[in-house]
Order: sequence, then structure tokens, then C-alpha cells
Amino acid sequence: MSSGPATSAVSSPDVRGAHSHRLGLITVIATFGGLLFGYDTGVINGALEPLQRDLGLTASTEGFVVSILIVGAAVGAVAGGWLSDRFGRRHNILLLAIVFMVGTLACVVAPSWPLLAAARFVLGLAVGGASATVPVYLAEISPTERRGGLVTRNEVMIVGGQFAAFVVNAVIYNVWGEVDWIWRVMLLVAVVPAIVLFVGMLRMPESPRWLVLQGRTDDALDVLRQVRSPERAEAEMAEVRRLAEEETRSRTAGPVDLSVRWIRKLIVIGAALGVFQQFSGINAVMYYGTQLLGDAGFSANAAIVANTLNGLFSLLGITCGILLINRINRRTMLIGGFALTTTMHLLIALSALLLPDGTVKAYAILVFVVLFVFCMQGTLGPLTWLILSEIFPLRIRSLAIGICVTALWLGNALVSGIFPPVNAALGIGPTFLVFVALGLAAIVFSWKAVPETRGRSLEELESEFRRRYS
Amino acid sequence: MSVLVAVADGAEGRAALAAAAAEAALLGTELVAVNLTLDPLDRTEGPLADAGVTVLERSGPQDRDPAVAVLDELAQRGDVHRLVIGVRRRSRVGKMLLGSISQRLLLESPVPVLAVKPD
Repeated sequence: MSSGPATSAVSSPDVRGAHSHRLGLITVIATFGGLLFGYDTGVINGALEPLQRDLGLTASTEGFVVSILIVGAAVGAVAGGWLSDRFGRRHNILLLAIVFMVGTLACVVAPSWPLLAAARFVLGLAVGGASATVPVYLAEISPTERRGGLVTRNEVMIVGGQFAAFVVNAVIYNVWGEVDWIWRVMLLVAVVPAIVLFVGMLRMPESPRWLVLQGRTDDALDVLRQVRSPERAEAEMAEVRRLAEEETRSRTAGPVDLSVRWIRKLIVIGAALGVFQQFSGINAVMYYGTQLLGDAGFSANAAIVANTLNGLFSLLGITCGILLINRINRRTMLIGGFALTTTMHLLIALSALLLPDGTVKAYAILVFVVLFVFCMQGTLGPLTWLILSEIFPLRIRSLAIGICVTALWLGNALVSGIFPPVNAALGIGPTFLVFVALGLAAIVFSWKAVPETRGRSLEELESEFRRRYS
Repeated sequence: MSVLVAVADGAEGRAALAAAAAEAALLGTELVAVNLTLDPLDRTEGPLADAGVTVLERSGPQDRDPAVAVLDELAQRGDVHRLVIGVRRRSRVGKMLLGSISQRLLLESPVPVLAVKPD
């Protein structure tokens, strides 16, 4: 128990030196976790067509095999958060690298779709664990003034991993597309970054903030000396202690506090935001883009190449989004984002319903799908995470973000699980009209419920929420 | 010597606080309030306007469970001779979801407990 918040310590600026090189290396190695997250979720996109042939998947078993990874990720995010608090960030990333390797190899040798699903569940545990651990590790090891930039780099690596998977798929498929088991090779490629992550992390230090939380102050100072200039290392210990204390305070709220109305309402808003982000259908495109473009009228070889544009524009979109994010009000960007993605959904649906089958229709759908991906990643993609990190008062943050992230993963699992059967039953046009309806609901929800958090202190926000939602 | 009061959200918290202030005055001891909610307590009026009252906030995972937070505080202080809590009826579902903090405090408190109901 405590009587009040601690005050902030100002650190001396960091100067460049050998330690900057080491910090750079840490960032590169740790973001391989993000890259794997992206590759392993994205690779299924191009692998599905030969996979369907090889293991005889139907639309519903296909949805199951794809979405079980996401269910695994929901579990992995919770378990990973707990393990990394208990045993350390570095320890957890090493463990994840091993699970990535084991999961990938199990997928590669799976003889039937139920075993493939089981293997993908294991792989999902690693994906979820990486989503919960890598950004925390990066935030805790980087100097305050560079924290945002390094964590953002992980988000770019996730999308970059998906793009890489799309390109690898397109190349492999266009060379050996007629071989049924070629999907196994596509999946196998993911072992390489997992090995890099494992070997690299062996040489990386533990997070100084986690060490302080364990009471290992001397070890924390040792780590800071590796990644900061000598003067800065000493100065920053106070800052690390303050942040460790803040971290402890963020874990105050438990299930009992859900009985308070304003806390419950705020968490429901956060969870709904996560679910609506997923209901934009971004991952229907990231997981089934090749299939979607095939349905739109492209040949199998052309669809898998065209799908790399989804990966490319996703990467470009997130880059623009990161540049925009602190220049526009959160609510404006959120509502604008949903308006743009819903418009694209409508244009995709109209193209599918009204244009005659042929090249024009195929290209029209491609253009609108790519624009949808760009608009989504340029706004809602990074923005949702930022809003979730801002709206919760400190003492309920850990509980609240845990609930919201789980809701987001489950929303993702739902969309990716039912997209194939729905698309098979209704066709592209009506399926995207469903996304239009969900998008309109998201606009109304954002307009009515999501608070503006840009440029306001947490204390101001907290007292406003208490007034509004009590 | 002191009286420790567990202040929960709403009417039962206010009732407990009023009863505890009276008890402390009667016994002539110090009053310590443990805030079980995550909202700050109003120190401008009522018993808490007295600057002599110590208010403790929950902070960190060890205080996640309000009952544990109160029991730990009792154990740590050692000089508390009365615990005051507010009680109220809960629905069956409410009990299942949230458990009963009051019941656990009644059963596990090492010191006599004064349980008050809001009128």
C-alpha cells in the first residue's frame, strides 16, 4: 500500500557510443519476435491453395485451421504476460523462440488437418506470447526519449513479416505451384528467423526494469551500463525504479473492481474497440487475400502475386499511420478510419455485385482491397493500440488491457474462422456488405463512446470517466 | 491502539466510516481507513475531513484482493483492536462473481469486527 504517486526523475541525455550499437543490436534481435509473429500469421495466406489440395480442406475446416492459431494467440498473450512477469522478459523470449521452432516444425510435418490444427495452436501460443512480451522488453530497455520509436519498430516488423511471407509464398508458388506439399516449404522458412531470435537473445541482457522489480538492483545497473553512456546509466536508475513502481501500481485492480460501474464501462469500451478493429476484416484479407483475389477473377498464379500488394500497402499504411498518429485527434482519426474502411468495403461489395466477371472486375476488387488495407493500417491499425494504452487509469491498466487484448484476439479468431464458410456460401459481395454493416456500427460506437485522449493527462481523464460513467 | 475501517464503494462504505468514527471517538483511539475502491475518498467532509485520520490506498498486485489488503494491514499494524466493515445483501450471481469480502473479513479477522448495515 502507498500514500501517493512518486515524482519523476529527469535523466541526463544519452550520448552515442559503444552502448548505442549494443542497443541497436538488441532492437534488431528482439523485433525478430515481431517478424515471426507477422510471418507465421501471414504465411497461411499463400499456403492455403496447395494446403487445401494436399489435406482435403473444406471451407469450414479451412477456417478452423486458420483461426485456431489466433485462439492459441489469445491464450499465449495471457500466459506469456504472466510468465514474463514471473521469469523475466529475456527468458520468455528465449522460450518463445523454441515454441516458434517446435510449432513450425510440427506444422511442416503434420500428416492431416487435425494435427496441423493442433500444431498451429502451439504456434499461436508463441505468436500471442511474442505480442505480449516483445513490446514490453523493448519499452523497458530503451531510453525514455526513444521508447515510442523502438516499440513502433516492432509493429512495423510484424507487418513486414506478413509482407515477407506473401513474397516468399508468391516466389515459391510460381516456381513449384503444382507440387501439393509445397505449403510445407513455405511454412518451414519461418524456422530461420526463430533460430536467429534464439541465438541472438542468448547474448542479450534482461530488462533492467524487470530486474528492479525482482529487487536485483545491481544486475539492473549492470544492464544499464551496457546500453547507456556511463553517466546516463547511473542517472537512469532512479527513473527505472520509478517506472518499476508504476508498473507495480498498474497491477492493483482485480476482478472485484469490475463491480464498479465506471471501471466496467471503460473496460467494455476498450474491449469493443479491439473487437471492432478486428471486425474491419483486416485479417480476412491478411489470411485469405490470395483466395479472395482468386474468387475475384485472378488465376491462382496471378492472385498470389497480386496478394503481395496487400502486404506492401499494409507496410506503407502503417508507416503513414505512425507519421500521422500524433498530429490528428484520436477520435477524428478513429471515426475517419472506420469511414474510409467502410467505404472501401462498400466499393468492394459493389464491384463484386455489379461488374461483369472478367479482368475489370478482378482489378477493381484488387484496387479496393489494397486501398482498404492501406486505410486500415494507416489509421485503425496502430491507433487502437495507442488508445488502449492511454484510456485506462494506472491502477486498473494491467487488468483492463489484458481483457481488451483477449477480446481483440477472440474477435480476430471469430472473423478468420467464419470468413471462409460465409464467403463460400454468400460470395464476395454480400460478405463485404456484412463488413459494411459492422463498419457502420463501429462508427456509431466510436462517435458515441470512445473518449478523446490526445494531449490530456491521465488524472484529467480518470476524473472525467468517473463523472461520465458513474 | 487504533480502529481500522474498510471503506467499500457506496452506502455501506459511508455507513462503515461513520460507525468507525464513532467507535474511535468512544474508545479514544486513532482511526485508520483502508480505501477498498480505486477512487480517491472525499476528504473534505464527514469523518475524513479530520486530518488525524490516516487513509491507505490499495497499490500493487499484493493489494489486488481487498480482503487480503485489509488482513495484511491488520497483521502489519498489530495495534488494531477493532475492525469496522459495511455489509449489504448481494444477489447469488454477485456472490459467485465477486465473492464476499465482508464474509471473509468476518471469518478471518484476528480482531473483533463491527459490521454495520447502511439504513
